[in-house]
Amino acid sequence: MLSYRPGSTVAHRLDPRSKLLFQFGFAIAAVAHPTLPWLVGTTAFALCALAAARLSPLAVLRSYRIVLAVLALAPFVAGVAPGPPWFRVDPALRSALHVGRILPVLLVSAAYLTSTPVRDTRAAVQRLIPGKPGQILGIGMALVVRLFPLVLADVREVRDAIHARGGEARPLRDRVRLLAVRSLERTLDRSDRLSVALRARCFAWNPTLPPLAFDRRDYPVLAVGIALAVSPLVSV
Amino acid sequence: MATEQSVDLVDDETVGLFTKAVLLAALTAGLAQLSIPIGPVVFSLQPFGMFFAGLLLGPLWGGVALLLYLLVGIAGAPVFSNGTAGIGYVIAGKTGGFLVGFLVGAVVAGAIAHRGIAPKPVADLSVPVQVVALTAAVAVVYAIGIPWMAVVTGLPFARAAALMAPYIPLDLLKLGIAIAIVQGGYLAGR
Repeated sequence: MLSYRPGSTVAHRLDPRSKLLFQFGFAIAAVAHPTLPWLVGTTAFALCALAAARLSPLAVLRSYRIVLAVLALAPFVAGVAPGPPWFRVDPALRSALHVGRILPVLLVSAAYLTSTPVRDTRAAVQRLIPGKPGQILGIGMALVVRLFPLVLADVREVRDAIHARGGEARPLRDRVRLLAVRSLERTLDRSDRLSVALRARCFAWNPTLPPLAFDRRDYPVLAVGIALAVSPLVSV
Repeated sequence: MATEQSVDLVDDETVGLFTKAVLLAALTAGLAQLSIPIGPVVFSLQPFGMFFAGLLLGPLWGGVALLLYLLVGIAGAPVFSNGTAGIGYVIAGKTGGFLVGFLVGAVVAGAIAHRGIAPKPVADLSVPVQVVALTAAVAVVYAIGIPWMAVVTGLPFARAAALMAPYIPLDLLKLGIAIAIVQGGYLAGR
């Protein structure tokens, strides 16, 4: 599983805002043209991004193996024909090119994930979105990341309790209803406790944010991100 | 030199809606990690997050809940199915359209169910309103997810729709279960 790893690579030193915009621009550019030369170019670009984060392409492919395995089925599905010749190559190749565009986007995304702590993305969101919406989303992200493991443990505990009582023999509808109800009850109880805790701690619209530094080295990354985002408008 | 900064407290009602949105985002993430295999298809529990966000929180806070879910996934928390994360998975992933569809679906369900920004108590929502709201949410999820999948994979639209067709009855079953939970009084007072 890909997650943040502390480091001092070029990618680690960049501001999360420039990295976010770069990723967005790159994703638009990568999916804009389903042609082989474009795919080779974007993949080479993505490998540079991985090098900037000192991340092994094989490690990324391993982490995304389930996603890639599912995507790899698409060309086969596209090529299957209901009658002779049963499999057509052209639609399969077309689909393979479309699916291939996703690989460089996933590589760049992996470089971001391993070089950017979640708290930095949270701070970037909070600074990029002005006013109260930014506050809500920034603080909300921090709380969701903190509470997700607890809620996941709740849901798994409920599932295990249902299994322990022979729940697997019950109809699907009953199992799902029990799982959803018990998980939801625990979640809403946590919500009530969190609400009281926030109010007790004077939850305010103007808390102190972690510092971010948009440095000189961020401007080229930002410029490339914008250029990539508008690149589909330029005919190749 | 003395510095003064006034504290702008968030009102109690907003805190309550905010914490529900946070926890429903976490629940959506938790349910995304569980699925029940039924023959060749997988019964995902993720749509319950969208259903309950729309029904309990209305269009604004229901949308915030699903937006938070997407944002923490983009930020790197392993909250998407199979513990995946990243903006690449959302934008270029085969199921990225369904993730975005959950966000729009929660807003649509909330708007139809509550007919306004402020959410009513869920017990006040009639069964027909709940049915229309959740059916519209499911329709929105497929309306966004299938074309997105077709574009990403290069499959013809009809073939992408045929691939997803087995999941529609399952989603309608989930819709029925969600309404049964509301009618069973499990969310009374919420």
